[in-house]
Amino acid sequence: MKIFAGFGYRSGIAIVLLTMAFSVIGEEYIGRDEFLGLACGDKKPEMQTLWITEETRDAAKAAVGWFPPALRLRYWQEGNCTAWILEDIGKDKPITLGIAVSGNRIERVEVLAFRETRGWEIRYPFFTSQFSGLTLATDGYLSDSIDGITGATLSVRAVERVARLALWLDMQVNG
Amino acid sequence: MRYRSQLVGILWRWHRRLGLFAAVFVVVLAASGIVLNHSSGLGLDRSFVDWPWLSKAYGDNSADLPAFNLGERWLSRAANGRIYLDDHEVASCNGKLVGALRVDQLFYAGCAEQLLLITEAGELVESISASTGLPVPLEAIGRINNQVAVKTGEGWWLADLDRLDFSERAPVGEVVIRELFPDQLPDAIRDNIPAQEQWLTWERLLLDLHSGRLLGTGGVVFVDGVGVLLGSLAMSGTAMWWLHRRRKQKP
Repeated sequence: MKIFAGFGYRSGIAIVLLTMAFSVIGEEYIGRDEFLGLACGDKKPEMQTLWITEETRDAAKAAVGWFPPALRLRYWQEGNCTAWILEDIGKDKPITLGIAVSGNRIERVEVLAFRETRGWEIRYPFFTSQFSGLTLATDGYLSDSIDGITGATLSVRAVERVARLALWLDMQVNG
Repeated sequence: MRYRSQLVGILWRWHRRLGLFAAVFVVVLAASGIVLNHSSGLGLDRSFVDWPWLSKAYGDNSADLPAFNLGERWLSRAANGRIYLDDHEVASCNGKLVGALRVDQLFYAGCAEQLLLITEAGELVESISASTGLPVPLEAIGRINNQVAVKTGEGWWLADLDRLDFSERAPVGEVVIRELFPDQLPDAIRDNIPAQEQWLTWERLLLDLHSGRLLGTGGVVFVDGVGVLLGSLAMSGTAMWWLHRRRKQKP
């Protein structure tokens, strides 16, 4: 009993425990309107709808290897500049990317939202700026190689896939 | 001399108190640490904890299979995080399934971070997310006459799905917003969609117990505190030994 003598109020020791419940929600870096404001120069592009036929889907898969599972895609257009907001899965969760294409060349790549636990470094300009000016090569790959990021291989591949698809889609709507 | 005796007394008293307080945690940490060292050999990384309530405590509600009855069709979110129309897989559903609707020929599935438009054949027409203008997180979806409305923490919004515009507030109170509530998925469909995957191993449970993560951030801070306590016990023990040794050496 003597052990506990004076234990508590005399010594004034208090241990405070805070149990915080939190959930990891995907992080949005820039919104749709902000991306569209940057995509095609000063003028904001207008929204368009592209309906996807089975032939379109098959052609896209043959050209760039994949296509999102939807019957219609939204894109934004101003002159010959098109802006695409597309999603692809890096490892487990979708990455939302904004790709602006003009004259069959990539103008800009932005990571709009990233939900994976690793690989978020792809959002930085040191990575995304590598895509500027690239075109779609005849083999369906980008016209130049992209330097990867250690530990973000799957996210890097997802951005490459989406960039290739955006270039292919731009060719479908702009010819 | 008297000062040293007083110091040894104080140290001894606190050493006992803190030692007794730490004893329970030392036993738990030591036992879980020893078992973790042999978790592979004991097969703990391959055997699963079959306590659904614990999986729920980890935030995994995938066993609940929220489902909505839309006439003769059922829209549900399976344990693999994908939306099913009856037993036909449609698309991934980002977040909990919060509502479902049928307007004309289309089905609408409202996930916390997505609104999915689905044909009667189970094909995905479009997936609308925050990046394409959807206000998130969604709390429910409803119908005002034949127009879709979505509910967030700020209230109900009308969905203009041609322009992807969700900025107009729904006239709540003036018209009825029809909203479906979750129902029990029939066994015939449940049996044909993926069941909850087991992922909580005994090794994971022990690791989270050992690190305090089982109780969230507070648990981690508490285990940090126990670590500091054990360090202070080592220091107070050493100090008592040192002071006692010097006293014995004095002639």
